Amino acid sequence: MLVMKRRAGESFTIGDEIEIEVLEVAGTRVKLGIVAPDSVAIVRKEARVTREENITASQPIAPEALAALAHRLWRAKSNP
Amino acid sequence: MPQIRTAYFGELDYADGTIFHFPYGLPGFEHEHAFLFLKQPHTEPLMFLQSLGNSRLCFILLPILVLDPRYAVNPDAEDLAALHLEPGRQPVIGKDILCAAIVTTGGTDQGTPTANLMAPVVVNLKEQIGMQVIQADSPYSHRHPIPMGTKVAPCS
Repeated sequence: MLVMKRRAGESFTIGDEIEIEVLEVAGTRVKLGIVAPDSVAIVRKEARVTREENITASQPIAPEALAALAHRLWRAKSNP
Repeated sequence: MPQIRTAYFGELDYADGTIFHFPYGLPGFEHEHAFLFLKQPHTEPLMFLQSLGNSRLCFILLPILVLDPRYAVNPDAEDLAALHLEPGRQPVIGKDILCAAIVTTGGTDQGTPTANLMAPVVVNLKEQIGMQVIQADSPYSHRHPIPMGTKVAPCS
């Protein structure tokens, strides 16, 4: 991983078309400004992770697997 | 009464008043805006978020307090506005909102099922508006292992 130190007001580029500027640093938060072509998707990491997890979770499971899941949860609840 | 074909429970009747609206859909399913919450006695405490527009799309959910009785959901100002909830006040689970985690089984019944505690489904109970609240600074995992009881031999 490339590590670089920047102050508020400073920026850096990725390739020829992407520029990222540090707009503000306040406490534990950093505000960034991003200039990139429309074709480049910019998504918060946690949103990307959630999207991928949702797609996996949306795959239907077999009725037996569903029954087993419910049964084992019920056991977990009544036999802590 | 309208009927819906569900992913897990065949055809079911539902009332129009039980539809929940998700203005932004869910991440990965941005075009699904209407869902029903289903519960069946034999699958308690699981809940099901069944899409109204796509009968094959049904998320398996667990009420968040079943997984962690001390769970605190932390919607930011934007989330509160999207859910039509009062700004500046954290909503109370069970009173103002329903809060449930999406379960991932990993596709087989062999792997340990997990629940996304980082990004729970939150619903304004009064207005029946829902969204998935993605909590950036959450201490919770998007793959929280679901505790299981003793493995039970299948009934004959």
